[in-house]
Amino acid sequence: MTSTQPEAFRRRSSRRTEILEDRPVNLDGFVEEWPEKGLVAMESEFDPRPSVRVEDGRIVELDGKGRGAFDFMDTFIANHAIDVETTEASMAIPSDEIARMLIDPNVSRRDVLAVSRGLTPAKILDVVKLMNVVEIMQGMQKMRARRTPANQGHSTSARDNPIQVAVDAAEGALRGFAELETTLGVLRYAPLVAIALQIGAQVGRGGVLTQCALEEATELELGMRGITAYAETISIYGTESVFVDGDDTPWSKAFLASAYASRGIKMRFTSGTGSEVQMGNAEGKSMLYLEIRCILMAKGAGVQGLQNGSISCIGVPGAMPGGIRAVAAENLVASMVDLECASGNDQSFSHSAMRRTARAMPQLLPGTDFVCSGYSGVPNLDNMFAGSNFDTDDYDDWNTIQRDMQVDGGLRHVREDEILEARDKAARALQALFAHLDLPAVTDDEVEAATYANSSNDYPLRDVLADLKGAQSVMDRGLTGLDLVKGLEATGFHDVAENLLTVLRQRVSGDLLQTSAILTPDFVPLSAINDANDYAGPGTGYRLQGERWEQLKKLRHVTSATNPETEVG
Amino acid sequence: MTQSTPTTPLGPSDYPLSVNRPELLRTPTGKPLSDLTMDAVVSGELTGDDLRIAPETLQLQAQLADASDRPQLASNFRRAAEMTAIPDAEVLEMYNALRPRASSKEQLLAIAERLEGHYGAAESGVVVREAAEVYERRNLLARPEQD
Repeated sequence: MTSTQPEAFRRRSSRRTEILEDRPVNLDGFVEEWPEKGLVAMESEFDPRPSVRVEDGRIVELDGKGRGAFDFMDTFIANHAIDVETTEASMAIPSDEIARMLIDPNVSRRDVLAVSRGLTPAKILDVVKLMNVVEIMQGMQKMRARRTPANQGHSTSARDNPIQVAVDAAEGALRGFAELETTLGVLRYAPLVAIALQIGAQVGRGGVLTQCALEEATELELGMRGITAYAETISIYGTESVFVDGDDTPWSKAFLASAYASRGIKMRFTSGTGSEVQMGNAEGKSMLYLEIRCILMAKGAGVQGLQNGSISCIGVPGAMPGGIRAVAAENLVASMVDLECASGNDQSFSHSAMRRTARAMPQLLPGTDFVCSGYSGVPNLDNMFAGSNFDTDDYDDWNTIQRDMQVDGGLRHVREDEILEARDKAARALQALFAHLDLPAVTDDEVEAATYANSSNDYPLRDVLADLKGAQSVMDRGLTGLDLVKGLEATGFHDVAENLLTVLRQRVSGDLLQTSAILTPDFVPLSAINDANDYAGPGTGYRLQGERWEQLKKLRHVTSATNPETEVG
Repeated sequence: MTQSTPTTPLGPSDYPLSVNRPELLRTPTGKPLSDLTMDAVVSGELTGDDLRIAPETLQLQAQLADASDRPQLASNFRRAAEMTAIPDAEVLEMYNALRPRASSKEQLLAIAERLEGHYGAAESGVVVREAAEVYERRNLLARPEQD
């Protein structure tokens, strides 16, 4: 160093520097860009330039490569994702014009889709690179597939305690999650925990959809048995080498997508910026370019939706300049090619509460199909997805932000008596069902603890070996969702049994297979078909008003207007 | 099968079928949606097969996807309709065979033939044939055993 600073000024840090050094944000990691290795969010000179050429009804050139040089992602995207009829016309539209279409309220969502279905990955990148974060949000507001935004929660346990998973699912469902997801520390616990999640969810609010994140084949099996209602952890990657490292190809994943649909099970793929560079082979391309390849691969497979927004790799774009803008852009791209988007905000991301909140604004403010693809419905220490960006400690903050901004983030404040009632009922339902099915007992002490608990530390310890034996017997005996319905009905939990039967019955109709489908509390499927996003500028589209707005005005402490000495709620 | 087939293709206003067109829906065992009651569960009348989706229903959902300008989703539903006939275990076997370097070209083509011949799953067969061709070009077929 050849510093020109006078020596005297470098002897010690100022008091202010010490205070800033101690701020949580300085525990976060930040790195310089390294485009040659793909360590760059979305602006890299190594990304291909957009191009397309069609011969005899077939794409023979894609983003500067001839068909002979296509890797399997290029091949799959060229064969299945891009509309051959319209691609040359769409590609001829200047990128700035397409970017303006995305934010212009006079251009409908349908008009944008007519163009976007003909675009190549490099062209889409070229378009979103022109957009700042506010424009990305404007685009998301219009392009989100479902008109009504929703949220997804995690319910897991550091001890894989099924009772905890059930009661936290019940509370989460009551608070508003439309989907609930679990996963395991010890994988062999999966059948018991997946059952617990399903029962808890149906106690909290009938019609909530549940899933258990596992290795592909096991996840499918639990779905086929009707123990879970949907699947999401079907990972795809933006380079051929990383895709192969994940032991899959676009064709194996497309086959899996049809397999799920053939059993009437809702499914979405998962991808995200940063996964390729984290897995060591980004092939020198920017994170967003590779993610756009994933998004188009998902589109080509005919899967209805995608969980993206960096997901478990959020630390990678989070460390880069403009990284969180790129993450917002990848959500927008999923929506602008007409996929359901479960938009991240689901992984520990920063030590800074300010940064955690700011990171979620591009999804929370415009609304997405699922603002979080995993808000932790358990304390962070119990989150087996390695922690989420938001957890149970943040419930009141989240509700307050919804009320402050008048935006619908999918949750609501619920009075404690209602929460305790739901938790108690979920624990008792699980107790009765386990007894009925000859699974390991749930004691009255456990029910009592579960009702009032916060974390797994507040529960009596389970006999893990007995639980694992019970879990194995669920598989060996071939127990199905129907057995759960019978058991609940036989033990006097008629309403919970009805809720679960109604969810199972949905798979006969296939309505939940359509884009962005969820079930309302009245068990009406709500998807991009019957709840299509019709945003067309101020005063249109989804507006937080009426009964729902009255719900969201409620918080734990709100002073009464008529009697300032009391609180309403 | 007593499933009634609509004379004109379905459109967005028919969705959700479970609410607007329940008369079109049957289980693979031929039961209408209204038979899937708690009484039927308790009496043991309903089995797991009654809670599966029928291929005809997936074709109806494909019509809805097409009518909503989602051709890839519609194709996926058509492949799914074909795959309803394949037992769970074999579906998983076929998926595993499609993983990189899991199968030789001959093995993949044999799966395609089984799909097309045994299950009448022409669209699904196309996917496997395309995989075989791409895997060969990209060196993703099973490698011969080496000592």
